[in-house]
Amino acid sequence: MSVLEVKNLQKSFDELEVLKDIDFSLEKGETVAIIGSSGSGKTTLLRCINFLERPNGGQMLVNGNVIFDAADPSTQKESEIRKKRLHFGLVFQSFNLFPQYTALQNVKLASELLVREQKDYKKNKKAILAEIDRQARENLTQMGLADKMDYYPHQLSGGQQQRVAIARALALSPDVLCFDEPTSALDPELTGEVLKVIKGLADKRTTMIIVTHEMAFARAVADRVIFMDGGVIVEQGAPEDVLGNPREERTKQFLARYSEE
Amino acid sequence: MSFSIITSRLLESFAINGEIFLVTLALGLPLGLVIAFGSMSSFKPLSWLTKTFVWIIRGTPLMLQVIIVFYGPGLIWGGEFMGRIEATMAAFAVNYACYFSEIYRGGIEGIATGQGEAGQVLGMTKSQIFFKVTLLQVIKRIVPPMGNEIITLVKDTSLARVIANKEIIMMAQEYTSKGLIWPLFYTAVFFLVASGVLTLLLGWLEKKLSYFK
Repeated sequence: MSVLEVKNLQKSFDELEVLKDIDFSLEKGETVAIIGSSGSGKTTLLRCINFLERPNGGQMLVNGNVIFDAADPSTQKESEIRKKRLHFGLVFQSFNLFPQYTALQNVKLASELLVREQKDYKKNKKAILAEIDRQARENLTQMGLADKMDYYPHQLSGGQQQRVAIARALALSPDVLCFDEPTSALDPELTGEVLKVIKGLADKRTTMIIVTHEMAFARAVADRVIFMDGGVIVEQGAPEDVLGNPREERTKQFLARYSEE
Repeated sequence: MSFSIITSRLLESFAINGEIFLVTLALGLPLGLVIAFGSMSSFKPLSWLTKTFVWIIRGTPLMLQVIIVFYGPGLIWGGEFMGRIEATMAAFAVNYACYFSEIYRGGIEGIATGQGEAGQVLGMTKSQIFFKVTLLQVIKRIVPPMGNEIITLVKDTSLARVIANKEIIMMAQEYTSKGLIWPLFYTAVFFLVASGVLTLLLGWLEKKLSYFK
């Protein structure tokens, strides 16, 4: 069964149709890279999946359960959307770390707030918080930030900030981890360290959707590449096919423009 | 008349300035937040009404507002509604709340939407996002402009004499009318000390919040 299924997803902003009938699914442990020019709808798709935008049509299923159906208002209750978001993690282009918290606090904050809703929280508070702390330190260490845990975001480089953001998204163990152009806001010499940790996650079979402009990276890390243009999925398949031997004219044009650069 | 007697008289009347100052802050700071949320409301009639109110209050002299609050109700309905000091405090609190509201609004709107979205995708509730993520960032941003308003408020309290509250300048003017001019100049020292202490306090707060950017 697919971890995520997106069916006929549509999204318009006023008159502008940004997503037209998007269909795709994601298997557990799979890494999908979404490529396409700006305005193709790939970021909007990611924002819809994370409930930051509300689609005008279509369905989303997680592990076979309908979590969103545009035709069924009972799937769109504000109170439940908050829980449903936890199926997904999102790493933003601009990191969006909380500036008043250290790297470690950034990673721990959401978990610490979430466990307050557990029934046994009061009784086992100490043990629960200690476990969150241990987990957060482990995550940051994995991101190569063992010596930066107590630094505030403004004391870190862009690449380090983005790695904290990845650790923060992982802290809640989402079913699907989404990346919205994770290296676009970074200086070229810093993209490598971020791409490396994402590659590491892919090697550990973390289920991921990565919106990216880095073609070489998509080829190296993705199990499948989706090319979007004008709000539709034009072509998808193995990276070597879509990037190396595209069938569709629009894909060829897009890739040709990239290789010129 | 001796220096020490005049000093203690002036100090007594400066307590009125202090009261007006404290009550204006205590009422105006929370009221300002309410007005700020009103003017940011997506419900158009409410935001329109709030913005008009803010425009009227900020567009007319505080001195006039004090007079209107004190005499207005009596002229319309007859009788006396509020004491002089209460009317002064009410007018000050509303006036300053309007200035504060604009500062709050700038502070809140200036926080990048990405902060709220980051909280949302981490499963935080709206109130958790406000209190755990946004609030401290807003406070950091508004301390400097708030500081300006608060220093201005210290000096504005002397407007209370327009409806015969016996604040420090009114007190000093009584000496002037008896031919003694220096107590009036001397009041400057009181204002300088008060605003000096506040400047230090605000500077300390700004420094406290400088650990993040």
